[in-house]
Amino acid sequence: MKKLSKVYIALILIFLFAPIAVLIVFSFNSGSSTSVFKGFSLHWYAELFKNAAMLNALKNSLILAISSAAISTVIGTAAAFGIHHMKKKWLRRSVMTATNIPMMNPDIITGISLMFLFVFVGTLLGLQTKLSFWTMLIAHITFSLPYVILNVLPKFRQMDKSLPEAALDLGCTPLQSFFKVQLPAILPGVFTGMIMAFTMSLDDFVISYFTSGVDFQTLPILIYSMTKKDVKPTIYALSTIIFIVILVLLLITNRERTSEERLEAKRLREEKRLRSAIAKSQKTGKPMRVKRVSESSIEVSHGRSMNLTKIIAVVCILAIIISTCLVFSVFSKRTITLNVYNWGEYISDGAEGSYDTNAEFEKYCRDELGMNVKVNYNTFSSNEDLYAKLSSNAVSYDVIIPSDYMIARLASEGYLQELDFNNIPNYEKSITDDFRGLYYDPENKYSVPYTYGMIGVIYDASRVSEDDTGSWDLMWNEKYSGQIVQYNNSRDAFGTAFYKNSWDVNTTDKSVWDKALAELQQQKPLLKKLVMDEIYNMMETGEAMIGSYYAGDYLTMLDNQADNVDLQFYYPENTNLFVDAMCIPTCAQNKTLAEEYINFMLSDDTAIANAEYICYASPHANVYNSEIYQEDMGEDAISILYPEDFDFHEKYDANCYKDLPPEMKEYLNALWIKFATE
Amino acid sequence: MTSVPKKSKVRRSLLQRYAAAPHIAWAILFIIAPLIFVAYYAFTDTVDGSVVFSIENLKTFFTPTYLKIFSRSVGLALISTVICLLLGYPIAYFISRTKPKTQRLLILLIMLPMWMNFIIRTYSISELIKDTGIINSFLGKIGIPQMHIYGKEGAVVLGMVYDYLPYMILPIYSVMAKLDYRLVEAAGDLGCNSFKVMTKVIFPLSRSGVISGITMVFVPSISTFYISQKLGGPSTLLIGDVIEQSYNASNYHLAAALSFVLMVILLIGLAVVNKYTDDDSGGMLI
Amino acid sequence: MNNKLVELKNVSKSFDGEIVLSNVSLYINDKEFITLLGPSGCGKTTTLRIIGGFESADEGDVIFDGERINDIPPYKRSVNTVFQKYALFPHLNVYDNIAFGLRVAKVKDAEIKERVSEMLSLVNLRGFEKRNVSLLSGGQQQRVAIARALINKPKVLLLDEPLGALDLKLRKDMQIELKKIQKATGITFVYVTHDQEEALSMSDTIVVMANGKIQQIGTPTDIYNEPKNAFVADFIGESNILDGVMLDDYSVKFAGQEFKCLDFGFNKNEPVDVVVRPEDVDVVSVDKGMLVGTVSNVTFKGDYYEIIVDVKGFKWMLETSDYVGVDEVIGLYIEPDAIHTMKKSEYSNMFGDYSTFSDEMEHLSDIVEEEV
Repeated sequence: MKKLSKVYIALILIFLFAPIAVLIVFSFNSGSSTSVFKGFSLHWYAELFKNAAMLNALKNSLILAISSAAISTVIGTAAAFGIHHMKKKWLRRSVMTATNIPMMNPDIITGISLMFLFVFVGTLLGLQTKLSFWTMLIAHITFSLPYVILNVLPKFRQMDKSLPEAALDLGCTPLQSFFKVQLPAILPGVFTGMIMAFTMSLDDFVISYFTSGVDFQTLPILIYSMTKKDVKPTIYALSTIIFIVILVLLLITNRERTSEERLEAKRLREEKRLRSAIAKSQKTGKPMRVKRVSESSIEVSHGRSMNLTKIIAVVCILAIIISTCLVFSVFSKRTITLNVYNWGEYISDGAEGSYDTNAEFEKYCRDELGMNVKVNYNTFSSNEDLYAKLSSNAVSYDVIIPSDYMIARLASEGYLQELDFNNIPNYEKSITDDFRGLYYDPENKYSVPYTYGMIGVIYDASRVSEDDTGSWDLMWNEKYSGQIVQYNNSRDAFGTAFYKNSWDVNTTDKSVWDKALAELQQQKPLLKKLVMDEIYNMMETGEAMIGSYYAGDYLTMLDNQADNVDLQFYYPENTNLFVDAMCIPTCAQNKTLAEEYINFMLSDDTAIANAEYICYASPHANVYNSEIYQEDMGEDAISILYPEDFDFHEKYDANCYKDLPPEMKEYLNALWIKFATE
Repeated sequence: MTSVPKKSKVRRSLLQRYAAAPHIAWAILFIIAPLIFVAYYAFTDTVDGSVVFSIENLKTFFTPTYLKIFSRSVGLALISTVICLLLGYPIAYFISRTKPKTQRLLILLIMLPMWMNFIIRTYSISELIKDTGIINSFLGKIGIPQMHIYGKEGAVVLGMVYDYLPYMILPIYSVMAKLDYRLVEAAGDLGCNSFKVMTKVIFPLSRSGVISGITMVFVPSISTFYISQKLGGPSTLLIGDVIEQSYNASNYHLAAALSFVLMVILLIGLAVVNKYTDDDSGGMLI
Repeated sequence: MNNKLVELKNVSKSFDGEIVLSNVSLYINDKEFITLLGPSGCGKTTTLRIIGGFESADEGDVIFDGERINDIPPYKRSVNTVFQKYALFPHLNVYDNIAFGLRVAKVKDAEIKERVSEMLSLVNLRGFEKRNVSLLSGGQQQRVAIARALINKPKVLLLDEPLGALDLKLRKDMQIELKKIQKATGITFVYVTHDQEEALSMSDTIVVMANGKIQQIGTPTDIYNEPKNAFVADFIGESNILDGVMLDDYSVKFAGQEFKCLDFGFNKNEPVDVVVRPEDVDVVSVDKGMLVGTVSNVTFKGDYYEIIVDVKGFKWMLETSDYVGVDEVIGLYIEPDAIHTMKKSEYSNMFGDYSTFSDEMEHLSDIVEEEV
């Protein structure tokens, strides 16, 4: 039985630690895969310390966790004190119930409810930025409070009731009595509460997801956006470091506790001895000298427990001071922040020695314009994400890079500002007529094209027969059941069905949409998963054999594909054409600087660096014409990105997604939910 | 003489009287008020830019499509809760029977994964169980048939069990650890065999821990969206996903309506559960 | 002497509608050792807490040194308390615990040092300065608590069952020590206990309380020899309490017999409670006995035997130094000065004879009381 229980405990622990072991092992992977181990290297740790976004997110998380833990500890401890002394039962019960709500309610509801509040109040106050560091701080304090209170309250209950009375008796005012006597007695509870608040805040994703603004991205949110795409072992490296730090901290506290326990045992032993000694001394009438024997040893241990109390107190105070300083240092800097909102992995960001666009822009501003600019770069994973953020009025961006149909929608709904092309001189030099006057911005008022391209079908040639390829039918081929991935996005997913049957993707005829749904439902049993950027990982590792995605992304996948995978790509008969373009939303706080940024993006060096990094076709004339670019990309890539004899301008209008009327959008949403459910 | 007052005035300082005031204000502003906003958005709709009263969005919840999603969420959450209980109860018991020093170490180990970011842990699971994942490539190497659960409901359940198992173990353990072992001995003395000891003594005494464990696993399981997104497939859409999707589609009224109904159902459930346990000592973590 | 330091006037107090103190009036003289004695729940601790300022009286006045202090908070009263479980501050060592009050009062360090060492020698704890209070034995903690209170030179020291947690032997020693300290410091002690022996041996004045009311105030000898009612008689020491009729001055009838006594001033034929202490009854041969009974139980108590004698159905308790056997028929002889008569009160008939008595029962009830 005992052996069995040991084996059982071991099995559960293995279960709990297997994923963690995986991430620790793969943080040392010399390859960039998170599932195939190529060899040992510290490469990703080096990358980590070069990754400004991640370090910044870590710093943000720490600032948020420290300040929310400090504040919720103060409020929560005071609250526990007050609740402990509440005489009215109904009051105490209702306060406790309200307190426990964030703990019992699903996080998603807490997050959404707070978001509603913040947006509503922000609108009332006319704030430009409704979600920010402060709203996140409020949210984190809110869900941390119950943990502090639940840890402190029992300590008040356990405390000898006459302790505070004794303090009053000896001349303390109630306030003095609290700080001199009660606080030391409840300190362990306060400390545990603070640690829990800290870790809850550090780890929270769901509530932060709904209450975070643009200017403050925490680690979990960054990790979330990263896991939507191809996860690099960098994040494993960071997790490993965090894991080890926590492990060490826990082991230290554990040891401290063990030593306290030993002290307690010693006390009991001492007491026994003393009693017998007293009894003896009373018999003999001699003074109680025996006691001194082990006095010194007690003093030593006593000194230690005193120190612990002091250390805890110092830690608490330091935490408060540091958090205040950090908060002020972050928000009082006289730099101009430029909020850029772009697709994930859609800019050259300095990873692995590449050109760091945002850093270069900051440098340019400093050197050429004499301005202290900080680019706050955030990513979204779908046009709808972007729209949700913008239309919530909760955040403000300066530069956004949506796709064509979304630009049309945003412009028609008044979310975009007209650009002042005098501030974007590079536009004239670089953007040819091919990319002007397109459907989404017929008068060239709102946008500057950034990339363009086509959707194609990607397949693993090592397992997919060449004969089956060439058309959209491959994605419906039952031979490959369970190996096909489809878009996790209604417009794109329906798009595949439309193009397959050469229907008009922008039709308002509901019966066509119904037919498309039938197509998708027919395909559904063959699907492995609905994906967006997860497709990278799935295709590269061979997890899926067939999927449809953007040509540029195929090139990225090629670079990372596993040894036994042979990814190939083709354009089917009909397919989607798209343009992603830079725009300035009406909520922008710094339009001139935003235009400066767009202009900078159009400068030849930057444009080439970005085009090479993200592998999408560039509408920038000087990019395609650049020899370096042609050379770096290679012939194959160029032929995929820029197919010969293909007149983009001519074909674009018939094959792009256009903004659907609201009624159709709603219908599409309903169909999508139906597809996902049935 | 004047009449004797019924209740005595207890000498309470200002501090004792008002220490909870900031928290109460906080709770009203940031716990109660937001929930009112959920209700407000749930019962309204935006028509041509103006907000009007409407229960259309609430009705949506009760259409077959959404009911199906909801029942799937309930089903998967229930299954993972039961699995967590089956896995967690014995280990909580075993741990509580070890030496205090071992107990602390083991509990520390159980808690440790909770300190890691759950997104990265869930992602790591997907790397393990994918068809081309670590486990399968290992199985492939030693020639054992591979498992294909990624993208299916099984993977979602696995993710829930993995992420929330500690939430089941810890409250049960904390009750077990306080359980007076002499009671078990007494029961044995009174003629209970070990099975009877389990059912007649240990299980009833640990009920409060079990119940808080169940709530702590069930609530996050039923409302998760990341786990189903990461580990699920085309047929594992959960209610949390739909709420997140409607939020991302800027359909706040629908998001609010779904949240509202989910919350009401959960609150009723919790109230029922709490009726069977008046004991709040078993309580939460720690 | 005899100047009133503390005075309670018609103090009443109730908790949640339950009356704890009703109309209590008493005064405490300067330099006096006064004990509030009574079973648990009698209101003695509440009285103490009202003096200390931890509870406020619903009605009535609390006068201290001629001033009404009802609304003065505890930290402004020159009264200090030794709490039941000492309430030593666990995060401070012995020295810091004792110095606590002086530090709060912002006394200079040098003076604190001097006064703490003075206190430590007063309570016999020299050399313990740096010790952790939670590592001390109960008796030592007790001393620290006393020193911590006394160092503030209060006018009144309140002690709430301070010896309750100590074992018997230690308790006896501490009783003597406390009395010594009180003499040496000249501070008024208000002492709360449910232990009548403790009260009798230490106090100048005893206040016997029951059900939120004062039953009797007096010196220990008064209380023992002249209990005012059946409750006091029963609570203080062992007593045989019988129904009797005062036939005339100096003559009382009980147990079917007429007895001579020293009491007078009752109405003729007034029903009274008669108290006879067990040690005041002599065991004699049957023919010399004023009463005759059968021995039903004998317990050896060390220096005497405690015997229960059945006299016509009423069980008497007697203490005798001579051994008598069970079922032996003996005579009882009672001197007139051994008989104490009391007016009938609400407690009459509540305390009967010793028919249900057993040592074990008494022991049990002691334990219960301590736990409460």
